[in-house]
Amino acid sequence: MQAQMTTPTRVKSRMGFSSRLYYFFRRFGKWIGIFLSVAGPGIIVMVADNDAGGITTYTATGAQYGNHLLWFLILLGPVAYFVQEMTVRLGAVTKRGHAEAIFSSFGRFWGWFSLLDLVLTDWLTMITEFVGMTAAMSIFGIPPLLTVIGCWLIMGAMITSGRYWTWEKITLVFCVLNLIYIPTAFMVHPAVSDLFKGLIPHFPPGGFTNTLFFLLMANIGTTIAPWMLFFQQSSVVDKSMKEKDIRFGKVDTAIGSALTVIVAVVLIIVCGKLLYGQDIQDAAAASRAIMPQSSIIGTIIAIGLFDAGLLGAVCISLASSWAFGEIFGWAHSLNTKIREAPWFYAYYVFDLALAGTVVLIPGAPLVLITLFVQVIATTLLPAALVFLIILLNDKKTMGIHANTPWLNAANITIVFVIIITSTLYAVSTIFPNLF
Amino acid sequence: MRFFKGIVQGVREVNRRYSKPGIEMTKGVKAALLMLRIYLLVLIGVLVVKFILTVAGK
Repeated sequence: MQAQMTTPTRVKSRMGFSSRLYYFFRRFGKWIGIFLSVAGPGIIVMVADNDAGGITTYTATGAQYGNHLLWFLILLGPVAYFVQEMTVRLGAVTKRGHAEAIFSSFGRFWGWFSLLDLVLTDWLTMITEFVGMTAAMSIFGIPPLLTVIGCWLIMGAMITSGRYWTWEKITLVFCVLNLIYIPTAFMVHPAVSDLFKGLIPHFPPGGFTNTLFFLLMANIGTTIAPWMLFFQQSSVVDKSMKEKDIRFGKVDTAIGSALTVIVAVVLIIVCGKLLYGQDIQDAAAASRAIMPQSSIIGTIIAIGLFDAGLLGAVCISLASSWAFGEIFGWAHSLNTKIREAPWFYAYYVFDLALAGTVVLIPGAPLVLITLFVQVIATTLLPAALVFLIILLNDKKTMGIHANTPWLNAANITIVFVIIITSTLYAVSTIFPNLF
Repeated sequence: MRFFKGIVQGVREVNRRYSKPGIEMTKGVKAALLMLRIYLLVLIGVLVVKFILTVAGK
């Protein structure tokens, strides 16, 4: 009887403060260990979201409006979290990638539409990543051909280990490098009062103009991209995440969202301080414009731009490769060697080679491609988001991990707003004088 | 030639495997998919109009 009464509760109540503290930290350490083994897809997809196009958008936003739109960028963090978190649950429960989930749930019409649109959008976006990388390296006098070949070698080497875990850890190193921007925010000594003012929702001086509208839409468009949904879900599946890992996946995604916002805010602060009022069209131009004022900050922006493009290119090409493999039934895991999954790796290499080659073609319409990407993405993003909501409400499949009414309210609102804003952005790109 | 035949065979196999939607088509799902089709038709229509205007402008 005495032995039966020695329950953990009774043992705990007899423990001193130091013992309780010890057990608390031991449990916390175990939690951290589990989290570190599960973390990856969320942080990678969010940091890669700050790709070459994203960095360009933030530098242009800072140069145009200073700190006035900080509040808007911070709001986009939770938006990205709520959307991406759905892919974690969907991937962990169904053990299927997003492309396969669409095919099997909605049939071949929507399946082919999503897959082919994804391939086109991804390929065009990859061209913009290579544009960013070559532009960044040209600041240091490295010719585009060398940059492209170097990128091919790096990206090819990253996937040859035959282990998802190895690829993920290498990519996380590049994600850490993406945070190189953070010190620059302190180096420019921004006025704290200006920063606090920027956190309060308001329109910048000049009010709601066409330029502001365009930039707000661009920021939304760069926060949620279709490839992110496909990438994170496939990554969750390739990592063999289970339902019990979902809560860690959510924390992983939340941390990734925070990092995305931090980098965006830092770039806005830096460009707002050093380039305010200047017409900056891309991040490489921002880096060049900053160089005379601070060669360190200009160099950091250039290195960060290259890293952003590299991360974006790796993740985007994998998103397409995984999608094809899921649908055609090829072996499609980073846990396989090249000879075990030849088509998966062949598509990845082909994608990289084609995008890199286009950038090297003299007179290639790269500006047009950069504009066109957003328009094409708008044809896929609403469909991918609507499918996501529908799938997350399928209680037969999702069980206890289906959307709650509160999550539905939040997600449907976010999806509705994203569809409207991305459509307006696409229309304003197609008809620039319409608004 | 064998490569392209393989692709065609693969596509046919995919079409056969996913010929029927697996999700329960409730009224809400059907309404969402219908609105999506209309949205995409309008968007593609806008793109086609722009293309025609651009070509006509040249």
